[in-house]
Amino acid sequence: MRRLRIIFRVVLFLILGSFFHYVLPQHDVVQITQVETKRTDFGGFNKWFYAQQDSGSAVMENRDIFYIYADRKKTFLFGLIARDATGVMVYRNEDTGWIWPPYFKFDSSNLQAEAASLARREATSEGGNWSVVTNYGWRIPFLSIFPNAVDVKPATGPDHQVTPWFNIFFFIALIIGFFFVRAMWMQLRERSVDPMLDSAGHRLDEVQAGVAERQGRMRRWMNTWRSKDNQR
Amino acid sequence: MGFVRLVVFGFIGLGVIYLSISVYSRSVRREKLEEQYDENPIANMTRREFVENGVKSYNNSFRPKLIALVFVIPPAIVAAIIYVINAN
Repeated sequence: MRRLRIIFRVVLFLILGSFFHYVLPQHDVVQITQVETKRTDFGGFNKWFYAQQDSGSAVMENRDIFYIYADRKKTFLFGLIARDATGVMVYRNEDTGWIWPPYFKFDSSNLQAEAASLARREATSEGGNWSVVTNYGWRIPFLSIFPNAVDVKPATGPDHQVTPWFNIFFFIALIIGFFFVRAMWMQLRERSVDPMLDSAGHRLDEVQAGVAERQGRMRRWMNTWRSKDNQR
Repeated sequence: MGFVRLVVFGFIGLGVIYLSISVYSRSVRREKLEEQYDENPIANMTRREFVENGVKSYNNSFRPKLIALVFVIPPAIVAAIIYVINAN
């Protein structure tokens, strides 16, 4: 039983952890190399990892999606520790609109223009041609899914550090919310559920006592018909 | 369309949160009043009267109206996100 509970907790933690890792914003330090538009036909599974058409446009089976190609600084520990290595990264650039996840991004075309402009900077310009791409999602090549870029801006250089303020506040709020819900649940149990169960138990006791009493009366009456040796 | 859906379901969700917070807050206040009476009972008042009076004055006070901020803060956060994400 205890092992089952541990397994359950580990699985829950993994699911929640990967959910938040997918949905929360990450900051990548990159050199944008190129931007392009590609027609994308979604499969039955990987369509869940794309957002939807531009928020003003019609819904179609497939559509053109903006992509941003970049050389990215690799990191350890979810971007907290910098590394010297670089690798390629591909971002899609879609509106999330009013739908999930709640980034409320409507400016994918503007973002594409910004990315194109950043890609054109010379390597000798101030801060080099490094940029910070804020994005969420995963790059999984065999499923053909890409992280969605929500913001690009020029970086100060390859060693640019970004403090993830949003994620910090988000997790603080999440912990506060968890304890608040817990307090509410405990209050509800203490004040409403437990007294109700108590009184239900009490009523059950009374009913049982009543039944026993009636049985006793019945038995006494039956006994008047039985011989003295045969009484129960 | 997406906007209408967000507003409708968001309003329903916030309504549920609002109701549960106001029930919780009143319940905590009631418990505190009961403890207060048990510690030093007031001579000319039964426990029930004391608690009902306290809850009534809580209902008329400004504090429960603060819970309506539940309907203000999340839309304000959404507006801030929209501005930050879409401003160039």
